[in-house]
Amino acid sequence: MKNESTIIDVPAETSSAMKGKAPLIGMAKDHTTSASGGYKRGLSIFDFLLRLAAIIAASVAAGTMFTSDETLPFFTQFLQFEAGYDDLPTYQFFVIAMSMVSGYLVLSLPISVVTIVRPLATAPRLLLLVLDTAALAFNMAAASSAAAISYLAHNGNQNTNWLPICQQFGDFCLKSSGAVVSSFVAVVFFTILVVLSGVALKRH
Amino acid sequence: MKSGQAEIVETSKGIQKRGLMSRRVAIFEFLLRIIAFFNTISSAILMATTNETLPFFTQFIRFHADYNDLPALTFFVVANAIVSGYLILSLPLAFVHIIKNKTENSRILLIVLDVAMVGLLASGASAAAAIVYLAHNGNNNTNWFAVCQQFNSFCERISGSLIGSFIAVFLLILLICLSAIALSRRR
Repeated sequence: MKNESTIIDVPAETSSAMKGKAPLIGMAKDHTTSASGGYKRGLSIFDFLLRLAAIIAASVAAGTMFTSDETLPFFTQFLQFEAGYDDLPTYQFFVIAMSMVSGYLVLSLPISVVTIVRPLATAPRLLLLVLDTAALAFNMAAASSAAAISYLAHNGNQNTNWLPICQQFGDFCLKSSGAVVSSFVAVVFFTILVVLSGVALKRH
Repeated sequence: MKSGQAEIVETSKGIQKRGLMSRRVAIFEFLLRIIAFFNTISSAILMATTNETLPFFTQFIRFHADYNDLPALTFFVVANAIVSGYLILSLPLAFVHIIKNKTENSRILLIVLDVAMVGLLASGASAAAAIVYLAHNGNNNTNWFAVCQQFNSFCERISGSLIGSFIAVFLLILLICLSAIALSRRR
């Protein structure tokens, strides 16, 4: 195992040259220079802005799905003439999950501010990275399960005799698909946030 | 001429302790990768080998069930195969982390790739879970019939293969956290 040891260079000049000049003993390399702090602070500010954008994306997704109710003006014999997000348990999970994700993002804003104020502290960044990864997986789960159901609603399935309901409920389908797309945008933001935190954690 | 440098004196014992701890964590990460690989490959194989043909003929419902019949399950198989291939290919890199000391850049690369794989795997697993839930319970409001009432062994298989995938998602998240902790520690 390599031993770290002190290296002191004593200038080997003649004593006449050294008159009046004190030898430089030590100049420790400062690993906490403001340059490193500066770029990390820039990353933290970008992180904060991305968080704001992700809050908007996640809450738009939750809100659009929540208000996607549609009632058909006519009466159909076999099919229900009203569709809402609570008719499909997957969409219910989607609304709940996206609300939780946007709530988490709002609560993580102060921690992001702390990383801006103290760019060299690793504990807040590490906490943000861990929580962001969990939120990313949760968000992705909600988004892709709702996407699977949306795909089914648009196309149906011949083999299982599942009819595409979008042919009756056009508005409902449009709104729920839009909510799913917004949720995927939030996932992209989360990915960038996690990578950003990882890069900013690197010690030089 | 070098004007001189003074470096912080560290006791050799302090370095040894820290080096041992990070080595143990690197070995743990390597093992987690292997376990996650086995989980994803078994999920992919289990889902891909579903094939059930009912012995009788029913008038309205198809009497053959395959993972190909549902696009979400196909996506599940593909996603699991991709992630298991990635995990095998990242094993040498994880092995290098056990041996080498200065591993920061490769750890950042691993974090980026792991995040991408978590996204892909979580996506595949949740889409398949939504379809499996529908197959088990059906939906009254949309007149979607619960397929599992006919295809018992097909349903059991597709439900069981989800478990390995979700365990692998959790393990990948753990791997990302461990990489980040190792990245942030003072060397």
